Amino acid sequence: MSGNSGGILEVRDLHTQFNTLDGVVRAVDGVSFDLARGETLGIVGESGCGKSVTALSILRLIPPETGRIASGSIKFEGEELTTLGEEAMKRLRGHRISMIFQEPMTSLNPVLTVGTQIAENVTRHLGVSKKAARERACEMLDLVRIADARRRLDEYPHQLSGGMRQRVMIAMALSCDPQVLIADEPTTALDVTIQAQILDLMLDLKEKTGTAIVLITHDLGVVAETTQRVVVMYAGRKVEEAPVEALFDNPLHPYTRGLMAAIPRLDVDAPRLQEIPGMVPLLTRPIVGCAFAARCPIATERCRTAAPPMVDVGGGHTALCWEVTP
Amino acid sequence: MTVLAVDKLVKHFPIHGGLLQRQVGSVKAVDGVSFSIAKGETLGLVGESGCGKSTVGKTILKLIEPTAGRIVLGGEDITALKPGAMWPHRRRIQTIFQDPYSSMNPRLPAGTIVGEPLENFGIAQGRARDERVAALFERVGLRPEAMRKYAHEFSGGQRQRLGIAKALAVSPEVIVADEPVSALDVSVQAQVLNLLIDLQAEYGLAYLFISHDLAVMRHISHRIAVMYLGRIVELTDKRTLFARPLHPYTEALLSAATVPDPRRRRAKKAIVQGDVPSPAKPPPGCHFHTRCPYAVADCKVKDPPLREVAPGHHVACHLR
Repeated sequence: MSGNSGGILEVRDLHTQFNTLDGVVRAVDGVSFDLARGETLGIVGESGCGKSVTALSILRLIPPETGRIASGSIKFEGEELTTLGEEAMKRLRGHRISMIFQEPMTSLNPVLTVGTQIAENVTRHLGVSKKAARERACEMLDLVRIADARRRLDEYPHQLSGGMRQRVMIAMALSCDPQVLIADEPTTALDVTIQAQILDLMLDLKEKTGTAIVLITHDLGVVAETTQRVVVMYAGRKVEEAPVEALFDNPLHPYTRGLMAAIPRLDVDAPRLQEIPGMVPLLTRPIVGCAFAARCPIATERCRTAAPPMVDVGGGHTALCWEVTP
Repeated sequence: MTVLAVDKLVKHFPIHGGLLQRQVGSVKAVDGVSFSIAKGETLGLVGESGCGKSTVGKTILKLIEPTAGRIVLGGEDITALKPGAMWPHRRRIQTIFQDPYSSMNPRLPAGTIVGEPLENFGIAQGRARDERVAALFERVGLRPEAMRKYAHEFSGGQRQRLGIAKALAVSPEVIVADEPVSALDVSVQAQVLNLLIDLQAEYGLAYLFISHDLAVMRHISHRIAVMYLGRIVELTDKRTLFARPLHPYTEALLSAATVPDPRRRRAKKAIVQGDVPSPAKPPPGCHFHTRCPYAVADCKVKDPPLREVAPGHHVACHLR
């Protein structure tokens, strides 16, 4: 799928930077990927790898006081988003590209009922009457399987449990039939039985609506169970990309391998977890060579001095590594 | 050898309401919990938010007073001890938090933070203290030079190492670890889990390991207690728990957890629907009956006792 023009979203060589007291942070440092129609793409990585900043860049939600998209291109249905005016961007967000976040309470307005909030989004983007928008809100709550939807329309976010709030966020995000839904750690704050319900729901709705999903998470279990293709990020870079089965069967990048050996497993007893020694490099200084070299068990002198190539092993599987052979 | 035993532990928090702020009810955070931990053993306490697992930890540490029940630490009943009388026992039971940063004075160098318990308990002072702190730093994988740094200069994983060094300083017998790796990235989480396992082997520490993460539990625990709304619903060794879970809630937790293997993806993950009921108004009978796919009439009225159905395997369910 990678590289074909049927992508609904095409991100090319994206660089997003922030100004901090310690200097310029290269949060996203040359990331490219495609999203196909109706596809579920996972972006996985640890804190600070740039996965959330990538999502915020796509939606152009990088706060202009501190950060900016320094270069690169983001095309949505062929239209360049990096240079699109703010008004046009506003018409896009919540309509054709939607987003849900980890903590729904921070994105819901505490003084408006959930019905009003969903209806507001519908009225703004689809220009329908208030009554029709409220009907649509009711339909959406039904769709995300909130029992007694009509009564819930008049409740405030604080009256709902965490799982219900996340359902409301999903209802709102899908209320205008977006082509792309970006979900940033949508189940991280939820208990496991609730997480299972929300993941089931997202996949069901994807089947029904055909919305493509970008699922951003640190959780390899969530990635394995929900996505079709995966981008692994490290220190602002894409270090590996593969169809989900290929990634788990045959992880190529030493970082991906390290991550997989470091997670405790529910299904097998491991005598000892593999550690990835050291820490993520500082992103305030330009990284010479491979960003993972300092922690990599197989790094050579070349890895520390020259930027590694993106090696294509076929079948849509690529890795940013000197030691991987095509 | 049992180092910590807890018998029918209860902790109720009053709910005040109305004009006069009278007590109108209580949250039964912990509702009759019993278990014991042996030297060198890890007991995992697992459950979802609000199940009371953290309250069990805090009560055992006597950071909050139990409403009823008994806590026996190394053969001595510490349940009713007042803070003064509790003091000498605090050396024997220490804690590691999820967020060690919040328990560290930002204006003190890390060496002073770790060395504080040594002075407080009169174990070592001055040079002797510094030497012990340096040894502790090395043991937990920090450079002794880092003693001069401040808490904010450490990464999340290093701070958790500091928290572990501080807990270890007074050579405790029991460590209550409340979600010690939940805030850490997986690569760092592996480092901290390995360290905890090594320290246990070295010092014969007993851990009460509180977590919501079943995979972490499987890795570190010897026995696991599953809690739901203030009660233990199943308690057994980890192998049995993962191979033959008996309580429907344990089954639900195991099936809901994600596995990092795309070939083991199941069509439907959620076998229980709905949310956990409020611990202020737990359902009558078996607390889980409102979400249980197998519940029968009896479950709605009768409390299931925690029974030993096989050697060492305890379960609280009418149907097993």
